[in-house]
Amino acid sequence: MNEIEQKIDQLLAIPPYSLPPEERQVALLDCLKDELEIACSRNPGYRNYIEHWPVQQRSARRICDLPYLPVGLLKAQPPLSLVESSEIKRVLTSSSTTGQTPSRIALDAQTARRMTKGVITIAEHFIGSNRRPYLVVDVPGSTRNGPELGARGAAIQGLQPFASGVTYCLDLDHDGGLLLSRDRLRNFAESHGASSVLVYGFTYILWKYLVKPLALEKICLAMPDVHILHSGGWKLLQEEAVDKRLFNDTVARTFGCTADRVIDFYGMVENVGVIYPDCREGNKHVPAFAEVIVRNPLTLEPVVEGEQGIVQVCSVLPTSFPGNLLLTEDIAKIVSYDGCRCGRRGTCFQFAGRVPKAEVRGCGNIESKRQRAAQV
Amino acid sequence: MLVIIRTIGQPGEISEIAAELRDSLDTTEIGTRAVLDGFEAWSAALGGRETANIPGVQFLRMWLRRGTLEPIISRELGGSALCGIWGEDSRAKLKAHPVGIVGHWPAGNIEIQPVLSMTCALLGGNASLVRVPPALSEPTRLIIEKLEESDSAGLLTRRIRMLVFDHTRTDLLETMARCVDGALIWGGKEAVLSVRALPFPHWARLVIFGPRISVAAMDATSWSNTEGQETWCRRIARDVWQFDQQACSSPQVLFLERKVGHSPHEFVQSLKKAFEAENRLHPRLTISASLTTLICQARASWLLDKATNSAIFPQGPDWTILLGSGTEVPKPTQGRTLTVVEVDDLFDAVGNLDGNVQAVGLAVVDAEREAMLASLAARRGVDRIVKLGRMHVFASPWDGVDLIRPMIRMVRYVPSSE
Repeated sequence: MNEIEQKIDQLLAIPPYSLPPEERQVALLDCLKDELEIACSRNPGYRNYIEHWPVQQRSARRICDLPYLPVGLLKAQPPLSLVESSEIKRVLTSSSTTGQTPSRIALDAQTARRMTKGVITIAEHFIGSNRRPYLVVDVPGSTRNGPELGARGAAIQGLQPFASGVTYCLDLDHDGGLLLSRDRLRNFAESHGASSVLVYGFTYILWKYLVKPLALEKICLAMPDVHILHSGGWKLLQEEAVDKRLFNDTVARTFGCTADRVIDFYGMVENVGVIYPDCREGNKHVPAFAEVIVRNPLTLEPVVEGEQGIVQVCSVLPTSFPGNLLLTEDIAKIVSYDGCRCGRRGTCFQFAGRVPKAEVRGCGNIESKRQRAAQV
Repeated sequence: MLVIIRTIGQPGEISEIAAELRDSLDTTEIGTRAVLDGFEAWSAALGGRETANIPGVQFLRMWLRRGTLEPIISRELGGSALCGIWGEDSRAKLKAHPVGIVGHWPAGNIEIQPVLSMTCALLGGNASLVRVPPALSEPTRLIIEKLEESDSAGLLTRRIRMLVFDHTRTDLLETMARCVDGALIWGGKEAVLSVRALPFPHWARLVIFGPRISVAAMDATSWSNTEGQETWCRRIARDVWQFDQQACSSPQVLFLERKVGHSPHEFVQSLKKAFEAENRLHPRLTISASLTTLICQARASWLLDKATNSAIFPQGPDWTILLGSGTEVPKPTQGRTLTVVEVDDLFDAVGNLDGNVQAVGLAVVDAEREAMLASLAARRGVDRIVKLGRMHVFASPWDGVDLIRPMIRMVRYVPSSE
């Protein structure tokens, strides 16, 4: 285990977007093979799955040939784990859509440490490393300590290493709905508006409860040195005909900054410690300790540049659950496998939506209405 | 020439089309023999290259043949129906008449279903309004073009209108429902429930072919006999491949009765070869990302669930064979995913079936034993018990329901002189 930990830490120590694709492939492939072997020795069911994979993992020459686990399998209860239950420090839960079972991610101390380190390594590449006042567009309870932590809480907590102090600007009303605390927001803006600040909120929450009402009243918070990070999906905004450009412009106007300070990042609880912020070209990049493969649904082979497919996330960070190679239920387009104009090396992609939920049909109608589920 | 397939934008268009159909019903009566003649010519016209690649079209050609349909009509409506005359029933006379305009709500995943459903109503002399899912408009258009070519007098085509519009257009669905005297509804649970709730006239007859699955089963002798193994595997592969395993008649699970001294793994290897061969012959040209995801999940879930479960699959989503044991029908995946389940006694597996199962495809050497299995399956709610390899042969009754009779009225006439 010490050897694998060293390998992971070495990858975590590399500047996240500096490796040429070939070097990254070699380093990751070696580490992922070791991790798969360890995972197999700890979970008989997982070993059974790996042993039936059409390509023997040890002879795999590409990361994309290694066995990947569909993310839906992480919805098991108790959580699919590679460590003793006494070693599980926390269980992360995903933001499941209405009626769906959330993923449950078992974290031990080592994986939790790497998760924090991973997020810091990535985020500081986009917002710098200094600590600054942190405004969370959410309610204070969303990161409360306990055995389980939801996706919103995990995202909020992931950015806390950049915080000198935290202010939550939403409250719960009597019906359990969210409500903007204008006093707290005003105080925060007046106290810290002139300095460097960090803001985070789930995309739809940020829009609905802060930006939209303030923009309607033409209120500007005057925070020119802010970084506004947001994540969590665009479905509800698309229903309101809000596209990325309108969103960024309106958010920037409301905070009194330039639109390049509004950073959307893609991330999923199951892909612990890895987030994918947009670069200035509008692309998402993969750090040195991870990889993203976009697979053609017809062949499950990686797509060529410019094509869309099903997203597979790969990461060396988790060792407490089998989350190194996960086939997600998201769709993305590979922009390029190297050479983004922003200067970051390696795979860059753009998120394109969710895989629609499918039901088994006996002579069934594929057009049946899908449940409209909130992303938050 | 009539425009049979139309893209619909407004409810008024449907009302106008229905009025045209009603007019043709009122002014002309079509005999069963004339319909069969028309179908025979249509079947011949479908032999061309233009329609060759439409899944199920070869089956449709067979279905339209007089040799296929005459026995069905005789059984469902009686011999006199073919002559179009009043039959004697003691002092009364009986004759089959159409219910009028039949609306069709086919499933969105079977290319020939809009047309197939329509033929059932046409055989009863009805006119048809068919809602064609936009994704099926092109294959439907190609098939209907062949009917237009072969039916130049318009005997059949004047009774058919196919309406292309999206399922989200509730206003159009409601208008269509108001215009019909009967409906054949095919689809998944949600689709069936939503169509059934449309404002049909109170006299309208609704026949629903809802979502069901099918299973296959082989007795110990059938699968363990190495001589016949290859043939059986080829038949199973064919049943799985047709309609991409999405039809209610597609086998989702294959029960193998345990045979001492024989491992099902050997049989599964043979099945693998048959799947590979069928995949070479009929590779998928497209797949939805959601089905690919489901297939990947089924593979992983099966293998993670029990360390004794096994599976064979290629790197792509082309096909999957899952192998385990038990007596229950595992959750179906579709997408050419066959779960092979070893069972001590076939009666245990068949005894666990319920009304969700439409068909059982059997391979049983002992005819008496097979008859007992068939009876057990029928008691459990299964509507079709057929030979493995012929699970999709469309025949009446389907889902336990006649295909033509529900859309006809048997008119009773007692002459006043009696």
